[in-house]
Amino acid sequence: MKTLDSYKKTDFILEALLVILAIGMVIPIYYLLITTFKSSSEATLHPLWLPADWKFSGYADAWKAMNYPRVFLNNLFITVSSVLGVLLFASLAAYSFARRQTRLNNLTFYFILIGVTIPFQVATIPLFRLIRNLGLIDNPLSVIFIYIFTLISFNIFLIKNFMNTVPIELEESASIDGCGVAGTFFRITLPLLLPVIATVAILNTLTTWNDFFTPLLFLQSREKGVILLEVYRNIGKFAVDWTAFFPMMVLGIAPLLLFYVFMQRFIISGIVTGAVKG
Amino acid sequence: MNTTKWNFRRNVVFQLFVLPALIGYLIFYIYPLIQTAIYSFTNYSMYHPNMKWIGIDNYIRLFKDDTVIIGIKNTVIYALLMTLLQNALAIPLAIALNRPLKSRNGLRLVFFAPAVLSPLVVGFLWSYLMSSSDYGLINQGLRAIGLNNVNWLGNPKLALYSILLTQVWQWTGYAMIIYLANLQGISKDYYEAASIDGAKAWTVFSKITLPLLLPSISFNTVMAMIGGLKVFDVIFSMTGGGPGHSTETIVMTLINKGITESQFGYGSAFAVVFSFMIMIVAFVQLKVLNKWEAKLF
Repeated sequence: MKTLDSYKKTDFILEALLVILAIGMVIPIYYLLITTFKSSSEATLHPLWLPADWKFSGYADAWKAMNYPRVFLNNLFITVSSVLGVLLFASLAAYSFARRQTRLNNLTFYFILIGVTIPFQVATIPLFRLIRNLGLIDNPLSVIFIYIFTLISFNIFLIKNFMNTVPIELEESASIDGCGVAGTFFRITLPLLLPVIATVAILNTLTTWNDFFTPLLFLQSREKGVILLEVYRNIGKFAVDWTAFFPMMVLGIAPLLLFYVFMQRFIISGIVTGAVKG
Repeated sequence: MNTTKWNFRRNVVFQLFVLPALIGYLIFYIYPLIQTAIYSFTNYSMYHPNMKWIGIDNYIRLFKDDTVIIGIKNTVIYALLMTLLQNALAIPLAIALNRPLKSRNGLRLVFFAPAVLSPLVVGFLWSYLMSSSDYGLINQGLRAIGLNNVNWLGNPKLALYSILLTQVWQWTGYAMIIYLANLQGISKDYYEAASIDGAKAWTVFSKITLPLLLPSISFNTVMAMIGGLKVFDVIFSMTGGGPGHSTETIVMTLINKGITESQFGYGSAFAVVFSFMIMIVAFVQLKVLNKWEAKLF
């Protein structure tokens, strides 16, 4: 065992190569961050150097131009509502599918799995008309509903698979004690689902927060928009000073990047669980 | 308590649990999907708001439409190369990181990091990096070592591959994380036995590591393929489909025809073709991988 798992001389070379590769991979992000503090002439002359004198006005301008607090809150509202919605509806359905394998339930389960295979972009044209007819254009509910019910298939699949590994005995004894279905679910099963719920929450947060396609189609006024729409709308307005756009890109990725920095272990293990169970 | 009545009530509650998911799914997914199929056989558009049944005319037109053919071709090239490159790089990377390196956790964090960035912003960032203007960092680097500028995004022959490069940068770490977890689940005994037998590194890789990685290879390649076929944000921000139609992809063409040009029937026919493409690709891929698995074990 020791011979295989201990640090070898070749590992030192391997490590050195990987560190160089990692530095290479980080350069674009470093360049993005560092450019936000430079004037455009300095950024052109010395792209990778630290700024001679740090300029912070770029962020203040970008913050104002993007109406950042507003779009950030819109983003947050959409993501939190969608994730909570998916969690609730998917775990309820998965519970039923896992614990009541009637013919009807099994059929419904397979019917819902269609949603894993065909991407909803296929149905964009009628979806657009549907949202318009429901009067939900420019209403965050449009995006929230679309997220919840197009992501729900994969989430039901994931939660049901996990639920199959949760012992049923606890639920049985709860129901013998007279606990109803809903009571058993919320008091006994749901707490046991916490690992998969964390996974689902993380996967869906990444997907919904970074989605550009759906808000682009359904949220048209700037008041209702999300961060990425502002990034998109502001490009090209700064033809003379191209560096003015860099703080906007940073503000565009900052929330999830910070989320990653603080939650990295949960995020990585969430993604792994999603892949292994899914 | 009357047990049958009690059981009946329990069953009703169980069925009710499915309802919110099912109703929303029917309204926001299945109903538009069926409508897409119906529209695809009509002449429905802004100019023909009263749709008329025209059979398979839309489908025939699709295969004579150059922009559609280009969109499909670009997307297929992109998805295939993306799947291949991403996994061909992620597997060795994961194997390397599975060694007891001192900086392992840090490296893992760095390689994965691009995956949390928005593809739209990544696209904008790389279009600056690849720019042919004075500030284009990559061309500055090329000039510094005495090479010529490369017109990464302005050359129609190159643009699609330049975009691909950015996405390999962004998503390889994601696949790597999944391979790494799979590797860590492989029992050390296999490697122990192989080393006692004096097996060569390549034999160990092809006879032990690769077969045992199959579950994550299935997952990663199918995800990369479907993601590649759906690509939109990054192309939208890097080239907008240009120059000419050289980087236009399926979802982009779909939006152009179906929404921007309001050709609802025609766009829907394209959408139907697209969904069959995805289903066939995923199906064939899983079949091939299963066959591979059956051959190995």
